[in-house]
Amino acid sequence: MKLSPIFLFLALGAATLSAQTPETEAPKKKRAPAVAEVGSAPQQVVQNNSLVRVNATSQPYSLHLPWQKESPSSRRGLGVVLAGNRVLVTGQMVADATYIELELPEKGQKISAKVVAVDYEANLALLESAPSDKQKAFFAGLKPMAVDSSTRIDDKVDILQTGRVGELIKSELRISKVMTRRYNVEGSGFLVYEANNIVRSEANSFTLPVVKSGKLVGLLLSYDSKNQVTTILPAPIIEHFLKDVADGSYEGFPSLGMELQTTLDEQFRDFLGLKPDAPGVLISMVMKGGSAEKAGMKKGDILVAINGFVIDSRGDYRDPQFGALSSSHLVRGRSYVGDKVEIQVIREGKEVTLKGELTRRKPDDFLVLPYLFDKGPRYVLMGGLLFQELSHPYLDAFGEEQRGGAILRLSRVASHPDKYEEEGRKKLVFLSLVLPTPSAQGYDKLGGQVVNKVNGRAIKDLNDLNEAFKSVKDTAHVIELNDFPHILYLDTANAANDNKRLLGGAYRIGSLMRLE
Amino acid sequence: MNIRPLLPFLALVLLPSALCAQPAPVPPAANPAIDTASGAWEGIVNIDVSVLVPDYREPWNAGQPSGGSGTGFLIGKNRFLTNAHVVSNATRILIRTTNDPEPHPARIVHIAHDCDLALIEAEDSSHFEKLKPLDFGGIPQLNTEVIAIGYPIGGDRISVTRGVVSRIDFRPYSHTSVDSHLAIQVDAAINPGNSGGPVMQEGKVVGVAFQGFSGRVAQNVGYMIPVPVIKRFLKDIEDGRYDHYVDLAASDFPIENPAQAKALGTGSDGVGVMVGDVEPQGSVGDLLKIGDVILSIDDNPVMNNGLVRFEGELMDMNEIVERKFAGDTIKLKYMRTGKKLESTVTLKRFDPYVRLGAQYNQRPRYIVNAGLVFQPLDRNLMDAHQMRDDTVNYVFDNFLTDKLYVERPEPVVLTNVLPDEVNTWITPYAHSIVDEINGVKIKTLKDVETALAKKDKPFIEIVLLEKNRPLVLKRELAEAAHERIMKTYNILEASYLGDE
Repeated sequence: MKLSPIFLFLALGAATLSAQTPETEAPKKKRAPAVAEVGSAPQQVVQNNSLVRVNATSQPYSLHLPWQKESPSSRRGLGVVLAGNRVLVTGQMVADATYIELELPEKGQKISAKVVAVDYEANLALLESAPSDKQKAFFAGLKPMAVDSSTRIDDKVDILQTGRVGELIKSELRISKVMTRRYNVEGSGFLVYEANNIVRSEANSFTLPVVKSGKLVGLLLSYDSKNQVTTILPAPIIEHFLKDVADGSYEGFPSLGMELQTTLDEQFRDFLGLKPDAPGVLISMVMKGGSAEKAGMKKGDILVAINGFVIDSRGDYRDPQFGALSSSHLVRGRSYVGDKVEIQVIREGKEVTLKGELTRRKPDDFLVLPYLFDKGPRYVLMGGLLFQELSHPYLDAFGEEQRGGAILRLSRVASHPDKYEEEGRKKLVFLSLVLPTPSAQGYDKLGGQVVNKVNGRAIKDLNDLNEAFKSVKDTAHVIELNDFPHILYLDTANAANDNKRLLGGAYRIGSLMRLE
Repeated sequence: MNIRPLLPFLALVLLPSALCAQPAPVPPAANPAIDTASGAWEGIVNIDVSVLVPDYREPWNAGQPSGGSGTGFLIGKNRFLTNAHVVSNATRILIRTTNDPEPHPARIVHIAHDCDLALIEAEDSSHFEKLKPLDFGGIPQLNTEVIAIGYPIGGDRISVTRGVVSRIDFRPYSHTSVDSHLAIQVDAAINPGNSGGPVMQEGKVVGVAFQGFSGRVAQNVGYMIPVPVIKRFLKDIEDGRYDHYVDLAASDFPIENPAQAKALGTGSDGVGVMVGDVEPQGSVGDLLKIGDVILSIDDNPVMNNGLVRFEGELMDMNEIVERKFAGDTIKLKYMRTGKKLESTVTLKRFDPYVRLGAQYNQRPRYIVNAGLVFQPLDRNLMDAHQMRDDTVNYVFDNFLTDKLYVERPEPVVLTNVLPDEVNTWITPYAHSIVDEINGVKIKTLKDVETALAKKDKPFIEIVLLEKNRPLVLKRELAEAAHERIMKTYNILEASYLGDE
C-alpha cells in the first residue's frame, strides 16, 4: 500500500497496530534453581508494592452468528494500583471480559474485580473490587503509584514485569520518539512514546507498566520483537482519562472531525496561494456534526493555528515538551470535551478566527460502528434471513482473500459513508446470512446485500426494520435491496412459523433479535 | 476454482524429460488403426506461434517475447480452425503437418476471443490444396465415444486420445474469463498443445478441444467447444467481419420461493424466471425492469431457474440469444405486476462487458505527461499492476453491478508517476482513478488528451476519485520536465490512443 500524506483527525484510520505486546504463548523460562551458597545470605528479591497481576477471561460475541458467543480466552497483565484502590490497565485487557480478577504477585492471593471506567479508543480501563474485608486485606499492603507526565525524548524508563514469585523484572528503554498514532481500534491518533530495546517476554501480555523513578509514565502498547520497537501509551493520555473519570461523568477524548493535507509541495503551495514560508495545511474534509463543522470550518480553508499554536506545513505544532507533534494532539490530548477552541484559518486570502466548543463523536454516531466490545452485535432474524448493521469488526473478520464482491462493496461504504448518511441512514442494515428455512427457500446463497426498504418503509437502522416487519399488511413481506436480486418476498405466516422453529432449534438461537 | 486455459502452451523450453515413453498398448479391434501416411489426418496441423505479450506496466515497451504451440485443422480451402488463445498476440504463426517437417507461415483471418475461436490461413496455400477438409457433426450424446487429436505435450508427432462425452453444459470460457457458452466435457485426455485440435466422432468433428482443469483440481475433465458455437462463429464471419456475441445484459434470479412466486404471479407450472438486474445500456435496458418475470424466449418456455429445453437438452436461456447475431431479434414474453406482455427485442453487443475480460492483440493504450502515466482501467491493467487501492478495485469489481460504466465508460487510472523533480510530491498518488483534469470530467482516455490540451490556466489540476486533494503541477515546470522524463525513462512515444 502506498503511503499517502493524509492525516486523519477522526475515523478512517489507515495504519494498523501490530500485535499485542509480547507473545502470550511465550514459554515460561525454566529458572535455574536458587543458588544457595553456603555462608551468604539469600539475595533480596525486589518487589514493587504498586503492581497487581490482572487475569481476565474474554469472550466476544460471534459477529457472523450474533446470537452466540465465541470461545472464551484468557489474558494476563500487570495493573497499576492508583489512589482509592483502583487498578489501571489497558482497555484491551478487559475488552469483552466475562471475569476479571486481581492477584498479588508474591502471595498469589486473588480477588475479583469489575470495570469502573473504560475507553476503548484511548485503550484505558480502571478496575475496582467491591468493598469487603477481603478487599481491604488485599489492598492493605499496596501503595498507589503516582502518574508522571514530564517524560521527554531521551529519558530512560523501565518496563516492569513480575516473575513467578513476584520478583520484579525490569527492561530498560530509552524514549526515542514522540508522535501520534491510532491505538487498537478504528479512530484517530493519540499521543505515543516510541522506544527501542529488547523487552524480555514473560507471561504477562496485555498490560505492562512503564515507570521512571517509581512513577508511572505509561503502559506498554505494542512491542515489535523483530525490530525491537516498543510503543507506549503515555502518561498525558492516562492523566486525561483519570481526570475525566474523576469528575463523575466520563466524556472521552474530543476531536475536531476534519482531514488535512500537508502543504510541503511548492507547486501545491503556489496553487493554494501560500507564501513560501507561511504556515498552514489544507482542510480537505470536514466531518458532518463534528466540532470543526460546528465552529464553522469549511473544506478548502487553510488551517494556520489552533488555540494560539501555529500549525506548520506538515500539520504539526511545536509542543513545549515534545517538539514537533501532530496538531491532532492539541485537541485530543491537551483539551477536554466541552473546552472552548479557537481556530485560525485563511479563507479566500483572509485570516478568519473560528470559535467553537470541542465535542466527541461517539461510536454510535457513526454509520458504520468503529468498534464493538462487551455487547452483542445488533440483529434481526426473520424467517431465516439474518439482518445486521454494518460494523468495522464485521468487515475485519473477513480475510484479505475474501474481500471481493459483497465485502468489497460493504468495505467501501464503510470508508465513504457520506452518501448513505445524507440519505438519512443512521446505520447500514444489510442481509448478512440466510439460514435454510422453508420460507427463505431459494434465498440461501444470498448475503451482503444492503437493505433499502421493507414493506414500503425506508430502513435507517434495525429498529426501523423490526417495525417494518411488524407493520406488514400483506401476506408477504417485501424486502427491497440495493443489490442483486433487488427484491425478496417472504411469506408472512411461514416466516412467523420458521421464527418459532428457529428458537431453540438446531442453530441454538435464543432470541430472534438484539436491539438494545 | 478456476479453469486454467490449457495453454500455458508447451512452454518451448519445457522439455518433458521426466515423461518416459510408455509402450503403446495394442488398440482394441473396435478402434480402427490410423495410418498417418494415408493422409486421413493430414489436415490436422501443428501451429507454432511466436508471441509478444503486451506490457501493461510499461505500456510504451514492446512487451515480453514468448511462444507456444497448439493444434488446428483444415475446414475449407486454406482455412484452418483453431483456438483464439493459440494465436493471440502472435507475431509469427507457423503451420506444420505431421508428415512434413517444413514450416509454412500463416496469418489470422478472423479471431473471436469471446468464443475462443480463430480462423487462420497459410500465406502460401499451394501446399495444402490437396488436403481434405474435416467435416462437422452435431452435438454428440452423453456416454458416446470421442477421440481428441492434436499435438499435445509429450512428443512432436500427432497424438490421439479417447474418451466419452461426460457432460453438456453452459460453462465459462477461460480465455477472456468473462464469457460463458455451451461447452462439452469429455474424459479423453486433453493436454497443453491439444488446444485448437478437433474432437471427433465417427469421422466428423464434434468439437474443438480448448480447456481443462489442472490435474491437481480434477481428473479427466477436458472441455471442447461444440459445433453450435463453431457454426455461429463461421456464420458471423461470412460478411467478412466478426461482430461478437450479443447479450440480453440482464441477470435472472430463480423463482424458487413460494411467496416470491405468488407475489410475482407465476403459476404452478414452474414457468418464469425473475429479472434480478438489467443493464441500462444492454439489449433489454429499455424494456425489462427488476422484478419482471421472463416467461419465454422465441416461444421456448423459460423455467423458474432460467433454463429452457432447447434442441433436446436443458440449457441456459441465454443459449437462445447466443445463437443469434447483432441486429437479430428475439420474441420475449414477460410478465409485469401480473400482466402478460410481449415484445420483440433487437439484440446488440454489450460493450462494457469487454473491459472486464482479458483482451488480446492490442497495444496497450496510455498517455504519459510530465511523468504521470494514465491508462484505461481493464482486466489486463488490473492483472499487470496488482492494484491494492480500494477505489480502483471497487470500480473494477462493480463496474457492472453498480452501473459505473454509465457515468464513466472507460475509467482512467493514474498508474504510475515516474519520479522527477517536478512530480516528486505526487508519486504516492499512483494507482488512483482520475476524476477530472483541468475541469474536464474524465470518462475515457481520450478525455485526458483533451483536458491536458487545455492551457488556459497556469496549473495542471488533476482531481482523483475519492482522494481529498488535487494533484497540481505548474504548467511551465511540467512542460519543461516532460521531454526530460521521456528521455530518462526511455519512452519513445508520449501516448498511444489506439488505431482510429
